[in-house]
Amino acid sequence: MKKIYAYTGLLIVLTVVMQACAKRQPPQELLSLTDPQLKIRSYQTRVFDYSDQNLVLRGVVASLQDLGFIVERANASLGLVTAGKFATNGNGIVELTVTVRLKGTQQTEVRLNAIFNTKPVDDPKVYQNFFTVLERTLFIAKG
Amino acid sequence: MTLSYVPRWVVLLGMATLASGCAATTPNVQDFFVQTPESAQHRALQTRMFETSDEKELLSASAAVLQDLGFQLEESIPDVGVLRAAKERSAREYGQEITRFLFFVIGLMGEKVIFMPVDLHQQINATLVTVRSHTNRDYYTVRVSFWRTVWKGDGSDGDRVIPPGQYRLEMVYDQHIYQEFFAKLAKSVFLEANKI
Repeated sequence: MKKIYAYTGLLIVLTVVMQACAKRQPPQELLSLTDPQLKIRSYQTRVFDYSDQNLVLRGVVASLQDLGFIVERANASLGLVTAGKFATNGNGIVELTVTVRLKGTQQTEVRLNAIFNTKPVDDPKVYQNFFTVLERTLFIAKG
Repeated sequence: MTLSYVPRWVVLLGMATLASGCAATTPNVQDFFVQTPESAQHRALQTRMFETSDEKELLSASAAVLQDLGFQLEESIPDVGVLRAAKERSAREYGQEITRFLFFVIGLMGEKVIFMPVDLHQQINATLVTVRSHTNRDYYTVRVSFWRTVWKGDGSDGDRVIPPGQYRLEMVYDQHIYQEFFAKLAKSVFLEANKI
């Protein structure tokens, strides 16, 4: 009888231990958007009345440089720019992805994603500042 | 004779004073998106105008100059006028070795072995962008920015081992470096590099 108890105990212990090795499935909602993310998306997007995607893309690059960002990658046909900037004391990094896409025939949509120290930036002011600089650059570039 | 007659608190105070120069606070993310008075200075430092309408030629000459300076090209997007290049170099400096020695001596007084990690290796990066001038359509501007990543070696603080691989990022704003680059670029395109 004692043997049975011992085996049962061992079985329970083993079951508990084995749990740790079980493969965990990622949660179903891994890719879905949360409410705050939806809100940020509206700050991150702005439509400009320019029909020339390349002009706007170059405007984005120039604006980023004016703000002291380093352009890391760009792709003309996809309208993509990634850039980064670090704090002067080296204690913080902002990384950006900007996409420039034609919207209809007369407009261009610019979308900016900012990440600060691996966390998404949800401060609307940050995005507003960028778009203000971009607007000015585009205005000058149009000549 | 022993060196341990220096009180512990004197050693600690000395080390705290030296170390406080390295203390840093996390900046506000909004500060990254604001143009400061320095922005205009940096722009002037990093930008030159060339009288040409051939952007491709300007880009390929820039790539050649970067190559001459020992850079490897990492990215080139002619349709946007962007080049990115990098090179790796040793980052050892005498000044740091001297500081390391001073810390070692201070440590001995506190009966502790201190080896301060020093800069070992660096990667120097360059991003270059060509833009048609807004003020004069016959000109193209070239803006280049240099920055570097510096890695530290290992060290120790008493029994605690400091592993290697600590790094820092810094922008390069030394005007001689930019002047040298643009002088070479001007020679390479047979054009004068005009300040903006």
